[in-house]
Amino acid sequence: MQPPMRLTVNGRAAEVSPEPGERLLTTVTERLHLTGTKFGCGHGECGACSVLVDGRLTYACLALTEACDGAAVTTVEGLATGETLAPLQRAFIAHDAAQCGYCTPGQLIAATRLLERNANPTENEIKVGMSGNLCRCGTYPKIITAIQAVARGEFAAPAR
Amino acid sequence: MPRKKASPAPRKGFIKTIVEVEGRTETRVVEIPAFEPTPWGPDTALETVGTRAVRVDAGEKVTGQAKYTADIARPGMLHAIILRSWVARGTLVSVDVDAARKIRGVIDVIGPGDAPAKTRLFPRKVTYAGQPIAAVCAESLHAVTAGIRALRAKIETAPFAATFEAATAPDAPLVRSKGNVAEGSPVVNARGNLARGLARADVVIEREYRTPVQLHSAIEPHGAVAEWQGDQLVVWESTQGIFRTREQLAEGLELPQSRVRVIKQYMGGGFGAKNGAGPHTFVAAIFARRTGRPVRCVNSRKAEQSDSGNRPATTQRVTIGAKRNGTLTAISLSADIPLGVGGWEGGPGQLYHELYACPNVRTEETFAYVNASAMQAFRAPGYAEGAFALEGAINALAAKLGMDPLALRRRNYAKTDPRKKRPWSGNALLECYEQAAARFGWDTRDSRRGPAASRAQVRRGFGMAAQIWPTGGGPPAYAHVRINADASIDLLTGTQDLGTGARTILSQVVADAMGARLSDVHTVIGDTGSLPYTGNSWGSMTTPSVAPAARMAAEDARRMLLDAAAPMLGVPLGKLETRNSTVCVRGTDRSMTFAEVTKELGDVMIIGRGTRGPNPLDVSVATFGAQFAEVEVDTRTGVVRVVRIVAAHDAGRILNPTLAESQLEGGIIQGLGYGMFEERVLDPATGLQLNPDLHDYRIPTIADTPVIDAFCVGQADAAANHTGARGLAEPPIIPTAPAIAAAVADAIGAELHEIPLTPWRVLAAAGEV
Ligand code: FES
Ligand code: FES
Repeated sequence: MQPPMRLTVNGRAAEVSPEPGERLLTTVTERLHLTGTKFGCGHGECGACSVLVDGRLTYACLALTEACDGAAVTTVEGLATGETLAPLQRAFIAHDAAQCGYCTPGQLIAATRLLERNANPTENEIKVGMSGNLCRCGTYPKIITAIQAVARGEFAAPAR
Repeated sequence: MPRKKASPAPRKGFIKTIVEVEGRTETRVVEIPAFEPTPWGPDTALETVGTRAVRVDAGEKVTGQAKYTADIARPGMLHAIILRSWVARGTLVSVDVDAARKIRGVIDVIGPGDAPAKTRLFPRKVTYAGQPIAAVCAESLHAVTAGIRALRAKIETAPFAATFEAATAPDAPLVRSKGNVAEGSPVVNARGNLARGLARADVVIEREYRTPVQLHSAIEPHGAVAEWQGDQLVVWESTQGIFRTREQLAEGLELPQSRVRVIKQYMGGGFGAKNGAGPHTFVAAIFARRTGRPVRCVNSRKAEQSDSGNRPATTQRVTIGAKRNGTLTAISLSADIPLGVGGWEGGPGQLYHELYACPNVRTEETFAYVNASAMQAFRAPGYAEGAFALEGAINALAAKLGMDPLALRRRNYAKTDPRKKRPWSGNALLECYEQAAARFGWDTRDSRRGPAASRAQVRRGFGMAAQIWPTGGGPPAYAHVRINADASIDLLTGTQDLGTGARTILSQVVADAMGARLSDVHTVIGDTGSLPYTGNSWGSMTTPSVAPAARMAAEDARRMLLDAAAPMLGVPLGKLETRNSTVCVRGTDRSMTFAEVTKELGDVMIIGRGTRGPNPLDVSVATFGAQFAEVEVDTRTGVVRVVRIVAAHDAGRILNPTLAESQLEGGIIQGLGYGMFEERVLDPATGLQLNPDLHDYRIPTIADTPVIDAFCVGQADAAANHTGARGLAEPPIIPTAPAIAAAVADAIGAELHEIPLTPWRVLAAAGEV
C-alpha cells in the first residue's frame, strides 16, 4: 500500500491510497465513486474515460494515479455548478447529442477542453479536437451542432 | 346520473399471429385485447407525439448520474474476470488454480466442471479463440487482474477451420460433432422460374461480392452485477432483453423465473450483441452464489471485440437478368456464410426477395460453422450484407444498360410485397427516392464532378442504394398505466431503452393517449421484478410493439378517470374530453384537473392495462429508404473520403423527429464504418484475432463523419398498428455501404466487390496495384 496522496477532484480535496500502477480511472470510479467517467477500452482507444488533469485532456485509463499527486481533476460530475448545468451540457440535451449516453461524459470533457483552447472552433477544428472520443451510437453530427451552438453563445444563460 | 360504463370485457381468448423478427418469421399465440383503440391515422391531431420532445433521460446522461451496469457498486462486491482460450481448437487439459488462489485478494476460481451443466460454460472442448475456460473473482480489480495472470491452463491444440472454405473442405476438422454445414443448409427460397427469367433477359450480369465480419463495438462492454438477496438472484445487466436474460439465467442456474430479477436502467449501446445472458452474466451469478457476495463481471475490450457477437462474413454470387428497358426478369443468389461456432441463420437472401418486383428469384444460402466466435444479430442482420451485394449488382446492371441507377430502381419498384404477394401496410419508397434525390442534387451531379484544380488526383463520385426492412413488431407486449394520488402518471412496461429513446417516445404516446402533459408522465422500464412482459428490443420492434400497448393502457386508464370524473362534473361520459392533464366538459368552460379528480378518489388507484394486439395478416409491414452518397477518392493513395450522405426513410408515423434523425445518423455512421473501415481479421496460421481492440479494428470517428442530411418521409401507417409507427433503428445501416461503394465506383470508373473499401482495395479496383 502506498502512502496516501492528495487529489483535488471537482474542487474537493480527496485523499487516496492507490495500488501500485493503479490508473486514475479506477481511482475516480472505484475509490471516489464518481462513476460518470466510463471504462470503454482501458487502452487509450475510445475516450470514454476522458477527464481533465490540471486542465489537460487526459485518458484516465492511461494516467497513473501516483503521477497525479497534487493534481486537480475534473470529471463530468464537476462540469455543472450546483444545479446549473454547463452550457455544453445544456446544448448536448437540446441537440440530442447523447443517445445511449455512455460516451457522453468523455465527449463533454473533451468539448470543454476544446472550447477552452479555442472559443470559436471551425467545424474542422471541432472534428480534430473531438476525434479522440469514439461514439458507436453515431452522435457525431449532433455533437458538432451542440458545440457550435455553445461557441455562438446560445447556451450562455442558464435555463434554470 | 350516468350509468357507470361496464369495465372492458375480459379478454376474448387467444389466437395465433405471425411476427417477423430480424427477417425470421415466427408464429406466436397472442391474446386478443379487450379493446383496440381507434387507429391514429395520418389526420389524427396529436399534441405530443410527433414533436421534438427532449429525451427524458438526457439530463442524467450529461451529468454522469445515469448508472450503467459497470457503475453499480454493491457493498462487499467482488470483481470477476474470465480467462479465455488463446487457441482456435483443442482440448483443455488442465487449469492450475493454486498460484492464482495464493494471490492476495483472490477469493474464488472456477473452471471446467464448476459451472452448472445447463450454463454450458467452460467445456473441455475448445472450439474457438476467445472461448471462456475459467474465471477468477477477487476483492478488487487489481487483485483479480493479478489472479487471472497467475492462472495456468494447458490446452492441447488441434487443427482448426476458421473460414468457410476450410470448414467445408472434405477433411475439415469438425467444429461441431454433427458436421460443419448447418442443418438445413443450403437454405433455398424461390419464386417463379429462374431459368425462364434468365432466358427472357436481354442483359445478364454476374458478380461475386464479399462482406467482412463486423463487430458491434459498443463503447460499453458487456457486463453484469449479480447479487443474491435472500433467495432471489438480482442481476444488473446491460441487456436488450431483460426477460430473455431472466429466462436464460433461470434455465442455466435451474431456478424458477420468479427467483431471478433482471434490472437494466441504462446501457451503453447494444446493436444486437446484448440480447441475453452471456458468459459474464453466468460467471457473476455463479461466483455470487459460491461466495455469498455481490459480483461484478465486465468484459475487457479484448473480450468484447473477440467474443461478444459479430455480423458474419458473406460471399455472395449474384446473377441478375433484365430487359433492355431495365425490367428485372431474374435474380439469383448463391451465398456462403460462416457463422462462427454458433448463431442463427440470418443470411443475406431475404432482401433479394423483397426489394424489387421481379417475378423470378432464387436464393441459396449455405451456413457453416467455423472455429471462430459465434455471430449474433447486428443491426439489420442479413440485410446489410445482402444490400451491399444486391445493390452493387443493381448499380452494375444500370451501368451495363446505360441507365440511371435511380431510374432503374424506380422501374422495378415493388408496389406490393413481391415475396408474400400482398399489399404493404404503407410504402413511401418512391417518395424516399424523389425527396432524397432532390435534396442530394442527383440530377445535376455531373456539374459537380470536376475535381478542385489544386487536387487533380482527387475524383468525385456519386452513388445510391435502397433499403427494405420488415418492421411490424408484434405481440406480446404489455403495459400498465397508473394514475397516482397526485395525478402524476406512471407507465410501467418491461421494455428497455438502448439509447434509442424508448423511454421518451413511450412517454409521448401515453401523454397523447391520456390527454396529459408530457411532464406528468413517467416511464418505468427495465426491471423484471415489477414490470409486465415485453420482448427483446431487437428487430426495430420496440416502437411498433410496445407503443400500442402503452397507448392502450393509457386509454384504459383515461376511461376509468372519465368514469370517475363524469359524476363529479355531473355530465354524461360522452361530453368529456381530456387535454393538458385536465378533464373538460365539451362546449363549456367547466373542467377538473386530473389532480382534482384523483384527490376526490383518495387512495383509489386507477390502473389501466394494455396489450399489443395481433398483427394484421393481410398486409406486409416494412420500413423503406434510399440513401445517396458523395465521395472523394484520391486516385494516388486510394483514400476515400465520404463527403455527404442524404437519406430519406419511411417508417410510418414518426413519434419524435429528433430521435428518429439520431437513429438515422447512427445507422448511417455504422454503415459507413462497415463500408469503409471495419473488418475483423483472423490470423490464418493460428485462428487468433489480430485486431481485438478499437485501434486496429477501426470504427468511425467524428473526423470521418460526412455531412448527413437524414430525414423521414411518409405518413402514419394505421394499417400496421393503431399508433401508425413502424420501426426505424435498423433500416438506416442497410443502404449506406452500397451507396458509398457505388459512389467510389463512379469516381474511379471501376466496380468494387468487397468491403471495407480500404485504400489498397480501391487502388486494386482502379488497376493501380
Ligand atoms: S477507456 Fe480510456 S480511452 Fe478507452
Ligand atoms: S451515445 Fe452511445 S456511444 Fe456515444
